Amino acid sequence: MKLGDYEVKLEKKVRVTGWEATTISLLAILIGLALVGLIFLQAGVNPLTGYRAIFSYAFVNKFGLPLTINRSVFILLCTCAFIVPMKAGLWNIGMAGQLYGGTLAAFGVALAFGAKDPQTPTLAPGIVIPLMMLGAILGGALIGSIPGFLKGRFNTNEIVVTMMLNSIGFWLIAFMIKEGGPFMGGGGEGQGFKLSESIFAPMVWGGTFTIPIALALAALLYFMFAKTTLGYQIKAFGLSPSAAKYSGISQQNVPLLVFMFGGLIAGLAGYHYFAAVPGVYKIPTNYGDFGDLSFYGIICGLISQGNPLAAIPFALLFGGLTNGGRFVQGQLQLGYGIDYALLGVLMITLVAFQFFYRNTIVWKKMEREK
Amino acid sequence: MPIQPVKRGDTVLEARGITKRFPGVVANDHIDFEIRAGEIHAILGENGAGKTTLMKILFGLLQPDEGEIYVHGEKVTFHSPLDAIHLGIGMVHQNRKLIPAHTVLENILLGHPKAGSIPDLKRTRDEIAELCDRYGFKIDLKAKVWQLSEGEKQVVEILKTLYRGARILILDEPTSSLAPPETEKLLESIRIMTGEDLALVPFITHKLPIVLTISERVTVLRRGKVTARLRTADATENSLAKEMVGREVIFRLEHVEVERGKPILEVEDLSALNDKGLVALKGVSFSVHEGEILGIAGVSGNGQQVLAEVLAGLRKAVSGRVLIDGINISRADSLERWKMGMGYIPSDRINVGSIGAQSLVENVLMNYYFDGAFSRWGIVDSQKTRKLTEGLISEYAIATPGPDSTAKSLSGGNLQKLILARVLSRKPRLIIANLPTQGLDVGATEFVQNKILEAKRQHAAILLISEDLEEVLSLSDRVAPIYEGEFMDIIPVDQARIEDIGAMMAGLKRKVAQP
Repeated sequence: MKLGDYEVKLEKKVRVTGWEATTISLLAILIGLALVGLIFLQAGVNPLTGYRAIFSYAFVNKFGLPLTINRSVFILLCTCAFIVPMKAGLWNIGMAGQLYGGTLAAFGVALAFGAKDPQTPTLAPGIVIPLMMLGAILGGALIGSIPGFLKGRFNTNEIVVTMMLNSIGFWLIAFMIKEGGPFMGGGGEGQGFKLSESIFAPMVWGGTFTIPIALALAALLYFMFAKTTLGYQIKAFGLSPSAAKYSGISQQNVPLLVFMFGGLIAGLAGYHYFAAVPGVYKIPTNYGDFGDLSFYGIICGLISQGNPLAAIPFALLFGGLTNGGRFVQGQLQLGYGIDYALLGVLMITLVAFQFFYRNTIVWKKMEREK
Repeated sequence: MPIQPVKRGDTVLEARGITKRFPGVVANDHIDFEIRAGEIHAILGENGAGKTTLMKILFGLLQPDEGEIYVHGEKVTFHSPLDAIHLGIGMVHQNRKLIPAHTVLENILLGHPKAGSIPDLKRTRDEIAELCDRYGFKIDLKAKVWQLSEGEKQVVEILKTLYRGARILILDEPTSSLAPPETEKLLESIRIMTGEDLALVPFITHKLPIVLTISERVTVLRRGKVTARLRTADATENSLAKEMVGREVIFRLEHVEVERGKPILEVEDLSALNDKGLVALKGVSFSVHEGEILGIAGVSGNGQQVLAEVLAGLRKAVSGRVLIDGINISRADSLERWKMGMGYIPSDRINVGSIGAQSLVENVLMNYYFDGAFSRWGIVDSQKTRKLTEGLISEYAIATPGPDSTAKSLSGGNLQKLILARVLSRKPRLIIANLPTQGLDVGATEFVQNKILEAKRQHAAILLISEDLEEVLSLSDRVAPIYEGEFMDIIPVDQARIEDIGAMMAGLKRKVAQP
């Protein structure tokens, strides 16, 4: 292409350094924010005021910040749940179903210990909380094992299976918490029973104990894919199934394993939000919103290119923006859906800018022809 | 500029001083040549000699840094292949660019200017049938491409370019994947084409005899430079090989005498199906002993691939038994077989034998990740793996910037060296080598063959599957011609006559069944 005296060419990039990737992502975020700024202008709000309100509520405000962190941890766990199968070249679109499964199992454990019955004496948190977490990861892994098994054994399309399981999980919860359902809450207003105070999740440094767990998990995954034979086998399977088969990597076990692992992490996300976040401690009426929120795990996993550590800042950003966006919508009386617009535009710019992970633009001054 | 009518002997394409630099290498260094109508002008060179780059430049896929291209005497600049196509240049790729689920006719029509609106299928079919008649191609236009053999796919590619009006055909390794009878047919059509004043430019790395039979002139490339410009009549196989490789090449390998030991691999009445569910292997029985090479000679698609996969544990047998060291491993998966000392060199280096996006270290790990010596508590000993990779790179003289380069950055020959190095470094007692030299240039072929002989010297039992009869005869101790999934015989190589084996490969002759 020619631009004035310059010839503009695209060249393929061989490798992207972490520094370049960060710069590209930051640039994408800035441009995304600038684009949404036009919406603010159109709505008669100074974009700077708008963004200041969003970011200060999301990352500074003492009410907003904990909400942001809890949402971000949830998104981070969903991202990890997406990344593990992604490394094996498989698409986990079913974090919602898996986290519903985990949530049901965790609350099932609580129920079994009599958490619903107000007459129950104080429960032993040292026993019940670990068992609830165990339930959450087993429940998530169980739902995850379905697409994994079907993929490995019959080469079924994992996207379809996981999507369908999302619906099944959603309605299963609806059935459990409806009036007359086994998990029905006391007030009968379409939400699950509340956990008794004795088994509220413990807090570490003012946050839920699931925060360090999620961060450690991301680090563990990073290590697993960088250093272990298991991670190697999963990556090999993802990059070239036929080469993996040649090397003796099991064609049946890898899909099963990655989906169980992914489901396990998603189950933990369910435990985190519904059983560990202060003020929730139940399956709320709007549990479906968190199924939707889990889909940010997909975009986050894709933007971070399957790197669980790189996913942390993106999870924080998305967690903050969903939170802050919703807040300013009310505060500045913006139209409905400004938060979705903001996130949508940001995702598009982030994905579009991945183009520069693989290409660079080269400017070359042309010699004038005589 | 319209495609101009030309007379035999007119210069139709001329390249002057073509230079293309890539970071670190000069792929093409002032290359000159000219191509005339009605002539076959072969471009010969090893992998990495700059052939592919030159080919891409002539077809407009790459732009040269320096130099000029003239078509019919006029200077041209190709911005894209479309410019080249408009000037009557056609390219027949080695990696076929066809849509398997579509018919031959649909594939030929795809991308044709006439296909823009609703195509007149009847007229098109007649026109293409006429082209087939004229050049002696026999092909069913209604067949789906996935049903075709490699040779037939090539014919489709050629028809596609001819139907678009190409007068200058660039052929990338035209005979490399063809069986001998298909090669004959192709050469016949090529002769007719040159008779009609088309210019053909085959790019060739190996199969030197074919260069000598079909072409009139040869340009030899080595390391991006033209090293020789010859009339084929003045060249011999040895002189061409020498120009290509830069040193003398020994075509005859010395036979390695090793004492034949106990049987390592025993196969009894083995049958298996191919991907389409058809019986591709019909009850073969044989054994391979320590220090022995059993060569399986056959035309592509006669069950060799299925046999190799069954032996490697990648495909289930329908019936029969496979034993290693007398232990029945028919049900063992491939990982167990690797651990028992099997080494498998697959025919598909790019999709099966390597993972293109991964580094050389990770590619070496493909055969080592399960090895307790290279990991501890499930954590890869990356230093040890790296050291191993570096050792293999230097021992096998693999041309690469280093162990962190990706496998896809390697040329075909270097990739095969890497796979061979990785498999042989495990010191396997049983080696299954499936088409180990296919598509390799002369130098790399020689290297691979010597490595196989070296493994034999170390008393490995080797099953060599090859479509190159000469290779089978010069390397093996016994030869088994395979035809439609059956061994026609198993003959000690010193009693084998090349005509007999050729006839058996074609299914014309077989040994009378023994009691």
